[in-house]
Amino acid sequence: MLQVVLSGLAIGAIYGLVGMGFAIAFYVTRVINFAEGQLLMVGVMIAAAIARGGANPVLAVAGGIAAAGAAGVVTYLVAVKPVLAFDRFSFAWLVSTLGVALILQNVAAIIWGPTSRSFPTLLNGTGVHIGSATLTVQELLTIGVAVAMAAAFELVRKRTLFGKAGMAVAYDPEMASALGVDTGTMAIVAFAGAGIFAGVAGVLIGPITYSNPYLGNTYGIAGFVALMIGGTERPVGAMVGGLILGILEEAAKSLINTQASDWFPFVVVVAILLLMPEGVFSIGGRIRSLAGLRRSAGEAVS
Amino acid sequence: MRADVLSALRTGEAGAAGRRWALRWREPALVAALGVYLWFTYYVAHGTLYLQGLVLVAAVFAILAVSLDLVAGMAGLYSLGHAGLFALGAYGTTILYNDHHWNLFALLPASMVGVGLVGLVLGSLSLRVSGLYFAITTFIFTLVVTVLASDLKITGGYGGLIGPVFPGFPAGLHWLGQSLIWCGMLALLVAILISLGLRRSPLYPVLLAIRDAERFAAAAGARTALLKIGLFGVSAAMAGAAGWVFTFQGFISPGQFDWTVSVNILVMVILGGLNTTIGPVLGAAFVSMFPAQVNMNPFWQEVLFGGLFVGVIIVYPGGFVGLLENAGRWLVRSRSPAAPPAAAPSSPAGEPAPVRVAALESAALEGAERTRPPAVTPARSAAAGPPAVECRGVVFAYTRGVPVVNGVDLVVRKGSIHGLIGPNGSGKTTLVDLIAGRLKPLAGTIAVDGRQLERGGPPARARNGFMRTFQAPVLVRELSVGENVGVGLYSRVPRITPRAPVWPVLPGARRDGRRIREQANDALRLVGAERWRSSRIANVPHGIQQLTQLAAACVAGPSTVILDEPLAGLSPTEVEHVAEILGELKGTGMSVILIEHQPRFVFALCDEVTVLDAGEVVATGPAAEVRANARVREVYLGQ
Repeated sequence: MLQVVLSGLAIGAIYGLVGMGFAIAFYVTRVINFAEGQLLMVGVMIAAAIARGGANPVLAVAGGIAAAGAAGVVTYLVAVKPVLAFDRFSFAWLVSTLGVALILQNVAAIIWGPTSRSFPTLLNGTGVHIGSATLTVQELLTIGVAVAMAAAFELVRKRTLFGKAGMAVAYDPEMASALGVDTGTMAIVAFAGAGIFAGVAGVLIGPITYSNPYLGNTYGIAGFVALMIGGTERPVGAMVGGLILGILEEAAKSLINTQASDWFPFVVVVAILLLMPEGVFSIGGRIRSLAGLRRSAGEAVS
Repeated sequence: MRADVLSALRTGEAGAAGRRWALRWREPALVAALGVYLWFTYYVAHGTLYLQGLVLVAAVFAILAVSLDLVAGMAGLYSLGHAGLFALGAYGTTILYNDHHWNLFALLPASMVGVGLVGLVLGSLSLRVSGLYFAITTFIFTLVVTVLASDLKITGGYGGLIGPVFPGFPAGLHWLGQSLIWCGMLALLVAILISLGLRRSPLYPVLLAIRDAERFAAAAGARTALLKIGLFGVSAAMAGAAGWVFTFQGFISPGQFDWTVSVNILVMVILGGLNTTIGPVLGAAFVSMFPAQVNMNPFWQEVLFGGLFVGVIIVYPGGFVGLLENAGRWLVRSRSPAAPPAAAPSSPAGEPAPVRVAALESAALEGAERTRPPAVTPARSAAAGPPAVECRGVVFAYTRGVPVVNGVDLVVRKGSIHGLIGPNGSGKTTLVDLIAGRLKPLAGTIAVDGRQLERGGPPARARNGFMRTFQAPVLVRELSVGENVGVGLYSRVPRITPRAPVWPVLPGARRDGRRIREQANDALRLVGAERWRSSRIANVPHGIQQLTQLAAACVAGPSTVILDEPLAGLSPTEVEHVAEILGELKGTGMSVILIEHQPRFVFALCDEVTVLDAGEVVATGPAAEVRANARVREVYLGQ
């Protein structure tokens, strides 16, 4: 059981990072970047390419993350900004970000070939025993990095003026820009952040998956589901959503059968969405508001 | 009255003058388009197998795109569940045919009904939240369907199933060629006609109102949630039919229905042009044929494909149809530089036309007599009349401990104008929202025409002859002034919803459509905004939007109307004019609740006035008495 939870957390941390990438871009621009998974792939491919060129693995990993961030910014400038400038409420971004996803994926396949290639390993695969369970150092690192990044994001969002400006843009972009927040810069930063989160997820999962131009599909969808579980009110919700998704997958794998990891998490997600259509974290708010209304009625009458 | 109707007809004719050219050519153009469509089908039905396969798949996706456009374009519901619904239709047909030997042609209605029902359930579960969460819930639905299709034994797992063979034409019809092509193309034709029918029906403005101005639609009597679910059900049934057609192309497997297909269908709709009927068909043809038609390195082909997505959407967010419209406009402009403006004024500009309340009333009642007994009983002595609206001890709070409306008693006499005044934040609009059913009181009762209605929503109010306007105009920006007013007649058109999908072919549709236009014109003439009738709301000044709201509230001949600051943003002459209109309305026996800030206007016009302050009634009674009240002078008039 402990093994299920820990392995689930390790893979879920990856989903959560990608999910947070989705969430950060969505939070500021109200756009779901369908190329988010491809940003992860860019991170993996660039890191692998740099490493193959003979560079230090640390440098390769840093280069991969930076490339993913840059690809995020390019996505925004090419596919999102022009569309939003036309109509902030249309869904045209769905087509254009999907177009970017197609381009990134196939350009990668053209440059590096459609098959899997090696990925630099930063850590050896030794196992660490935690109680009755065993995790690799890589998996522990993944969990640690994911938690640290989620926490750092929340700190920036809540404790810095910059983060608060981001919240203002998320809540009401027109008002925020009237108050002097540069919404354009905010959006660029958000997409860079979305790319960096995906890139980090990429270099963390790379040693297991190797580098492959089609990685974006798998992890893109998992990250998207993580976003749905967590809801879009707070980007950090997507991290929790990813962890839940990871644990569900591992649980299905060990308790039902390997195939079940395909469908079991979705069944749970459906149940969650039917009960709490705005993500698992909406339930608290709803209970509070119900209780609040009841109480206010009582006071007003008495 | 005869003369009034005749003159209404005449102005209708004059207004159509600008569109007469289009009208004369519409029917021949439709016949020609149909001919080309059938010729194309005939041509493909005799073509190579390769071409047939290509066109059949394109037709199936065009059906899906048209069905998605119904919900995405008209109601703003971006469903990502259409691949799942499509899969249910395809797998249902195949399994019931292969394993249970159902009749192939009975399976078409069966799959439409079955998938339509699934759509209704999915819609009612996921439409409790709108926008993105609707997309997400339907997306998950598709994931579940494909995962189940991959893992279940009955669906053949990843390998899929072999589909049934479509029977050929009987001997006498062999000259038509391949029967399956006709089947697919005719199914697409029916889908296009349903979509066009809905767009031409009077339900269309109501659906757009639900999409863009839900409060307005609800206030006009539309049960918005039910309509959305119903529309999604229709869309799902069409997706089920697409699945039925798709089974005949050979074999089906989970990969053909996965979530990328859902996204692709939405891409087809947006790329072709959202809410245009023909755009989704073009988008479907492009997206499904492009990969097969362009011979190049598959990776470069995909890159080009993606580049086209980005390019088209960035340059023309309206998609192919937006692009064509632009090209058409450019052609027209270069051909005839002095083309008349589309929105030509229909009556001479200047003074508003003489007010014809009688025509409005009788026309509205004529339309209404089937749905409700005439409830308007003119009451001349306002103060003594029975109550039109009666609130007793109404309490409401948005957040706990801060009552916004606190134990308000309000009685509005039938056939009177009742002013509701008070400083900003005194709870006027909240009280009006409570009376109009948008909010539910925490305590107290609200009776309209003697009926307890505090638990019913706005649609129930509208059906009981109770209409309202909003402080900031809530209208459909892309529709004309006249079409917006027509939304107000929603509860007066008999069986509007079931008739809508087949509207153009129904007997009486033309008559009803004309009656709606006439009544909307009468109402616009009543408020003096007639010459704006064919201008889009997005292009008219604020004052005209206010008058449009007023006309939409009055068009159905309600017994009570609530006007929430109808004078805000009006010019002094317009204010005088609205005052005149309100007098006229009162003369017809209508009760009016008026929220207003301009004391001069309120006390001159209202029979009775209620003053609110901090959610409580300060004074209520005949206007003169209230005006003399010391406390009112203090809190409101600042004297």
